[in-house]
Amino acid sequence: MLPQRLKKAITDNPKKLANLIDLVNLPSTVREFVGQSQISRLGCFMRVWSYIKQNNLQDPNNKNIVNCDEKLRSILLGKPRVELAELPALIKLHFPKEPK
Amino acid sequence: MGKIPPSFRPAISNSLIKRQPLESPTAIPHQFPEKTTKKRPSQHSKTAQASLGSRKAEPLFKSPDLSSAKKVFNSIVVTTKAPIDLRFHNTLLQSYASVSTVNDSISFLHHMVKAHPSFSPDRSTYHILLSQSCKAPDSSLSPVRQTLNLMVTNGLKPNQVTTDVAIRSLCEAGRIDHAVELVKELSLKHSPPDNFTFNFLVKNLCKCRTLSTVYGFIDDMKSSFGIKPDLVTYTILIDNVCNSKNLREAMRLVGVLNESGFKPDCFVYNTIMKGYCMLSKGSEIIEVYKKMKEEGVEPDLVTYNTLIFGLSKSGRVKEARKYLDIMVESGHFPDAVTYTSLMNGMCREGNALGAVLLLEEMERKGCSPNSCTYNTLLHGLCKGRLMEKGMELYRAMKSAGMMLEKASYATLVRALCREGRVAEAYEVFDYAVESKSLTDVAAYSTLEVTLKWLKKAREQGLAV
Repeated sequence: MLPQRLKKAITDNPKKLANLIDLVNLPSTVREFVGQSQISRLGCFMRVWSYIKQNNLQDPNNKNIVNCDEKLRSILLGKPRVELAELPALIKLHFPKEPK
Repeated sequence: MGKIPPSFRPAISNSLIKRQPLESPTAIPHQFPEKTTKKRPSQHSKTAQASLGSRKAEPLFKSPDLSSAKKVFNSIVVTTKAPIDLRFHNTLLQSYASVSTVNDSISFLHHMVKAHPSFSPDRSTYHILLSQSCKAPDSSLSPVRQTLNLMVTNGLKPNQVTTDVAIRSLCEAGRIDHAVELVKELSLKHSPPDNFTFNFLVKNLCKCRTLSTVYGFIDDMKSSFGIKPDLVTYTILIDNVCNSKNLREAMRLVGVLNESGFKPDCFVYNTIMKGYCMLSKGSEIIEVYKKMKEEGVEPDLVTYNTLIFGLSKSGRVKEARKYLDIMVESGHFPDAVTYTSLMNGMCREGNALGAVLLLEEMERKGCSPNSCTYNTLLHGLCKGRLMEKGMELYRAMKSAGMMLEKASYATLVRALCREGRVAEAYEVFDYAVESKSLTDVAAYSTLEVTLKWLKKAREQGLAV
């Protein structure tokens, strides 16, 4: 189980919160996918996830797997199949940490 | 585990019950019921406005502009069938005050007096202006003083109601320091606050100022104006220190309370008990209960709920269960809070199935569970790795449109991920967002952290 202290961590930490909801200028590939030039990491995740649902991209035999279509592949490292579990991590790749 | 136990089903009929936090048995302030019975003249105008407002769906005065307001006033006077009396004028003033500035409201009042010389404003009229001036976004008290002066020049001395209106309005606007300043000023010049106002102010001070400030204020009021703290004041103070887990100070206050000739009542004991609950001190909780009995203070529903909550929390479920029986014997009807506390304790012990049985018992006895009950159970079932039953419960909750609490949501998501049912975890995430149980951020970050943890666990070969 997750240690107790991790539970609260994110929403209580303003930096991490900002990292999640601040609008970020997008690289061209993602820009094409979401259709706007700025989006937050959270917003991007929501977009991708609803895109998967709308287009029924979850594997019918194993719902944990997403069969990417052309469009989705372009933003998920070109992988043909992606596990739902790694989705947040893959999206995070487009949102690099700000250099300090 | 089989089919849905009958006890899950009522989730469907109970969708609208408001979420009730476990701590709710500990609500103390007994000044509330008394407050509502206290008549304040200004309320007349409010009720009048309500009745007038309900007839006309839209506000009477749409623009804060004075001259157009006067026109509106003149046209209403011509068309209205209502008697043109004090209440009529107060209603109009109140409704204009809600859109205008203090100075315009005063001019509007003058206009009304001029148009109808028979109308003589009384205290309630000035209280409308006073309340408006207290809420005005101003960094000083000068508009408040201006209205008070206006009142005095018109031959009406501010009384306790005036003080009450001003203090409540100021506190509502978050101007607590001004409220303190004004209450001293009013005590000096006109009328000291009554106990209700005083306690209200103390309560608000407790919320946002340090304890020493509050004590300073109380001492000040006592030495300068002879306003002594009463039992309610002490209860508020004890509640405040209990909430900050400062039980030693609470005990000192109980001592002071006794010295000042008060006898602790049920509310005081309940509050102290709550304090011990926060620290999970089972023996002390029972101690308080016994003390109550000794002193001849009859425990009420809140006492028992607090007692059972506290014992469950500190891992003494068996005793908590025993008190449930005692409670019934002494003629109290255990409610959803009682049962939920007990279930919470059982789930903490890892006895989630026992908690489900208790749910059935609870319903047999005619007590309907609320969303907090279901969340507690969901949490317990997921922790106890009884996933099938947990999912069943979750689906029942979902079809009833019940909110998920943060903890039960997180536990459910984690338990699903651990079993490799990530898609279902996503589905729960969707429901949490859709039902507005949690903010998007909270729901997502839980999911993200869980998936991160899952990755690590998989690497170590701990999860599917």
